[in-house]
Amino acid sequence: MHKLILAAAAGIIGAVATAASAQTILVSMKGPGAGNPFWAAVERGATEKAAEMGVDVVVLSPPTESDVPAQIAQVEDQLAKGVDGIVIAPTDPNALAPVIDEAIADGVSVVFIDTKGANEGVTYIGTDNQMGASLAAKHICENVEEGADVAILQGIVTQSTGKARADGSHEGLSACGLNIVAEQTGEWDRAKGLAVMENIITGNPNLKGVFASNDNMGLGAIEALKNADMLDQVFLVGFDANPDAAESVLAGEMAATVAQNPYNMGAFGIESVLTLISGGSLDPVIDTGTVLVTMENAEDFN
Amino acid sequence: MTASPENSGIESPESMQKLPLGVRLIPFFDRYGILIVIVAMGAVMWALQPDVFLSWRNITNIFKQTAANGMLSIGMFVVILTAGIDLSVGSVLALGMMTLAVSNAAGVPWPVALALSPMMGLAAGFVNGIGITKLRMPHPFIMTLGMLFMARGLANLISGGVPYSGLPDPIRFLGSARIYLGEFDGTRINLPVVFLFTILVYFLFWILLEHTVFGRRVYAIGGNPEAARVSGINVDRTLIIVYAICGFMAGIAGLIMAGRTNSGFPNAGTGMELEAIAAVIIGGASFFGGRGQVLGIFGGVLIMGLIKNGLNLNNVSTFWQQILIGAIIVLAVFIDVLRRDLGTRH
Repeated sequence: MHKLILAAAAGIIGAVATAASAQTILVSMKGPGAGNPFWAAVERGATEKAAEMGVDVVVLSPPTESDVPAQIAQVEDQLAKGVDGIVIAPTDPNALAPVIDEAIADGVSVVFIDTKGANEGVTYIGTDNQMGASLAAKHICENVEEGADVAILQGIVTQSTGKARADGSHEGLSACGLNIVAEQTGEWDRAKGLAVMENIITGNPNLKGVFASNDNMGLGAIEALKNADMLDQVFLVGFDANPDAAESVLAGEMAATVAQNPYNMGAFGIESVLTLISGGSLDPVIDTGTVLVTMENAEDFN
Repeated sequence: MTASPENSGIESPESMQKLPLGVRLIPFFDRYGILIVIVAMGAVMWALQPDVFLSWRNITNIFKQTAANGMLSIGMFVVILTAGIDLSVGSVLALGMMTLAVSNAAGVPWPVALALSPMMGLAAGFVNGIGITKLRMPHPFIMTLGMLFMARGLANLISGGVPYSGLPDPIRFLGSARIYLGEFDGTRINLPVVFLFTILVYFLFWILLEHTVFGRRVYAIGGNPEAARVSGINVDRTLIIVYAICGFMAGIAGLIMAGRTNSGFPNAGTGMELEAIAAVIIGGASFFGGRGQVLGIFGGVLIMGLIKNGLNLNNVSTFWQQILIGAIIVLAVFIDVLRRDLGTRH
C-alpha cells in the first residue's frame, strides 16, 4: 500500500524532472500563471527573454498569493539547488526579506518585479502605480462634470501597490475639483468590491465616477451598479486591463482600465538580473510603463 | 517505541500465530510503516536530485520549513486523540505572532514580547476548552471555528492589518538562529536551532502522551469518553488542558514564524490548520480518537515537508503539491479503513 504512494510520487516527479545546465535564473511569482493572465504574461516575458539570452529559467509560485511560507520555502529550496539570479515578486516584502538577504549573502543577484521588497539596494522593476492611478484619475476628470461625486475602491493599502494607487487616484481626483465621497477597500476582491460598491451607492445616489484600484473590484462594482440601475450615470475606470475588463470596456460597461505591462516585468527582470550577474549596475527603479485602455484599444487586451 | 495500552488493541502473540499474514503485519506497519514511507520517499528524491537532496543545506531547509507545521501538528494531535478538532490554530498562530510583533514595536522589553506569543496561544486554547466543556458546545468544530474568526479578527485589530517587521535577535533566536558546527568539504555547516527544538518538543510530547497518567487519560477519553468518565477521569478538566496545550503550541509556532520571517504579517497561518490536520492524519492518528503515536505525527509532518521540498527542487508547480497531499490524505485514511477491516473480519 505504501508503495502506491511512492509510485505516484515518483511518477509525477520523474515526469517533470529536468536536467540542469549552465546559468539558471529563478523567477518567483506571487501567484500561478495558470488561471491568472497577469502572471501568465510575466512568465511569458521571462521565458521568452531567457530563451533569447540563452539562460535557463525556473518559474515557481505559491498556490495562492497569501501563502507566504510556501514562497519562502521555494526560494530556499532553489538556493540549495543553486541558482545564479532571482527575479522575485514578493508575496509579503517583510517576510521575504530574510531569505532574500540569505540569497544576496550567497552571492546570488536579485531584482524585485511587480512589488517592491523590503531589502535595501535591490532594484525594483514594475509599474509606477501612482502614475497609472493618476492617468486613470485624469481620464475620469475629463469625462465627468466638475464637482461631481466620485468614489475610490482601494486595494489593500498596507501594500505598496495598494497605497500608490490609492494616493495617485486621490491626488488626481481632488486636483481637478471632484468631490470624493468614499474611499473604501475591496481588498482586491471581486465579491468584496461588489459589496463595498453597494454600500457606497446606497449613501451616494448622485455618484458619477468610480476609480477601482483593480479590475476585479471594478467588475464587482459594475454588478452592483447594474443591480441598482446606475451603470449609465457612473463612469468607472479600473486598473490592470485583464481580459474580462477589456471585454467589459468593449461592451460599454467599464469606461476604461489601466494596463500594466506584466510581459515587460518578466522580460526586464531577466535582462536586469543578467546585467547584475555580469557585474553591471542598475537604476533603483525601472518603470515598465502604463497605458490607458479604452474602447479604441481594448481589443488588444481581450 | 511502545504503544500505550489503549491504542494497541491487537491480540496476544499466541493467537496472532493463527491469523493471516496481513493481519499479523498490522502492528508492525502501525509502528514503523511511516518510517518506511519516509525512507522510500527520500530514496526517490535522492535519485532525482542526487547533488542537492541530501546536501546539508537542503536537509536543514526541510526542518526549517516544517517547524511551524510541526508545532501546530503535535498540538492538533493531542486534540484529535480526544476525538476533537481545533480549527483555530492557524489564526491563533497569527494572533500570537502579531501580538509579539506589535508589542515589540511598542517598546515592550523582548522577554515579555517573546512570551506573549505562546501566552496568547495558551489563552485562546483555554477559551476553546472552556467553550467546549463548560458552555457545552455540541462539537469542538463549532467552538474552534468561532475562535478561527475571533483570533484572526483580533490579530488584525491589534495590528490594524499592517505587517510589522524588524524583531530583535533574541526573539528571532528560535526561528532563525543557526549553530555553526564547522567547515566540512569547504562548506560551512550550520545547525538551525529550530531543528533541535523540534526534536526536543516531540520528545517531551512522547513522554507526556505515552508515559504519563495524563497521556493515558487523553487516549482513554478519545477511546470512549463515557467509560473514561465512569472510571473517574475528570473529562472536562482534561479537555480544557488539551485545548490549552494545542493553543500554546500554536503560539510557539507563531514565535517560530516571526523569527523566520523577521516580522508579523497579517496573512500568517492562513489555512495552516488544514495542513496540521493533514499531517496528523497522514501520521496515522485515528480521526475517531484514541489511536496514534507521536513518532507517527513526526513522520506525517516530515512527509508533507518532503513532498513540498521534493517538488520544489524539481521545479514542479505547487498545484501538484496540493493534489499529492490531498491524495495521500485519502490514501492514508484508506489504509486505516483496510486495517480496521482486517482487524475485525476474522
